[in-house]
Amino acid sequence: MPDSAVLRPDLQYASLAQQGETAELGMWVFLVNETLFFGALIFIYFIYRLTYPHEFAVAARDAVLWCGSVNFVLLLTSSLTMVVAINAAAQGERRAMVCWLIATAALGCAFLGVKGFEYYLDYQDEVVPVVNYLSKPGEGRAGELFWVFYWIATGLHAIHLMIGIGLVLYVLAWKIPRGKITPAYYTPLEVIGIYWSFVDTVWLYLYPCIYLVGRS
Amino acid sequence: MRFALETDPKRARTLPFVAVWLILLLLGGLSLWAAFLGLGMWTPAVQSGIAAIQTALVFTVFMRLKGEPSLKWVFAVGGFLWLSFLFGLSMTDYSSRQGWPTMYDPSGPSYQLPRHSP
Repeated sequence: MPDSAVLRPDLQYASLAQQGETAELGMWVFLVNETLFFGALIFIYFIYRLTYPHEFAVAARDAVLWCGSVNFVLLLTSSLTMVVAINAAAQGERRAMVCWLIATAALGCAFLGVKGFEYYLDYQDEVVPVVNYLSKPGEGRAGELFWVFYWIATGLHAIHLMIGIGLVLYVLAWKIPRGKITPAYYTPLEVIGIYWSFVDTVWLYLYPCIYLVGRS
Repeated sequence: MRFALETDPKRARTLPFVAVWLILLLLGGLSLWAAFLGLGMWTPAVQSGIAAIQTALVFTVFMRLKGEPSLKWVFAVGGFLWLSFLFGLSMTDYSSRQGWPTMYDPSGPSYQLPRHSP
């Protein structure tokens, strides 16, 4: 990382611009892996959903719709606050950048809070495969497959979000106080923003797959 | 995207993001509405289409792919290209299975995996 006082690129780069572009490209390469990772998971879901449509429709009715919908809004809003924070960084508005980043982390934490409460409701509703599962009438054995997908997909998504929150807090607690984020070089924030919006994108698919099945 | 408030540079920079955020929420509402319409097998297709539009918006605006052509476009598109290979090649198996998939009929019988004698 460049020294904020001098703002020189690291040894292997010709300029700060090149260093920034490389870091951004690195994140995109990583996101290709993530696309395949979550894409394969969602593909398997659709295979099972097409194979057991009735069972999935019955099982999915137990998903807590309001939790998923509130989290949908929270996560999209956090993506907005993140890009606004990046804009503030680009313009050298340090105070605004800090405020928007705190808002982003808070919205991420709120998402996890709602998710945690939803997990509690799920446990009460006995839809935790292996641990506490009660097969409902009409869902057969395949209904449990839906809930296996639910726990794996939402669990992996939550882990990704926790990493995102950790990165935002790292920038807030370490990078910004040391003057490492400036209008001349705010790539670390931009890279985290790309990651954050990707995690948001995953929820755009999980939401209809989990919460909007068997509602009609 | 141009806005009437563009004379205020700070608001002009933020407004396009707010507009996209509102469109994303609206599309999410549309997906929710579609779930209650009783479209049957078309429901996941409609919702996947809406999610794809939302993805395009997030990628181009929030993840800043919009602008000058660059190498990151190759990777952004590459991920979905490889995903299409994964989907396509996997579907050659499933689509050739007899009786798969069943039509989306919540009241109908589900597909039963064939039982093979030992």
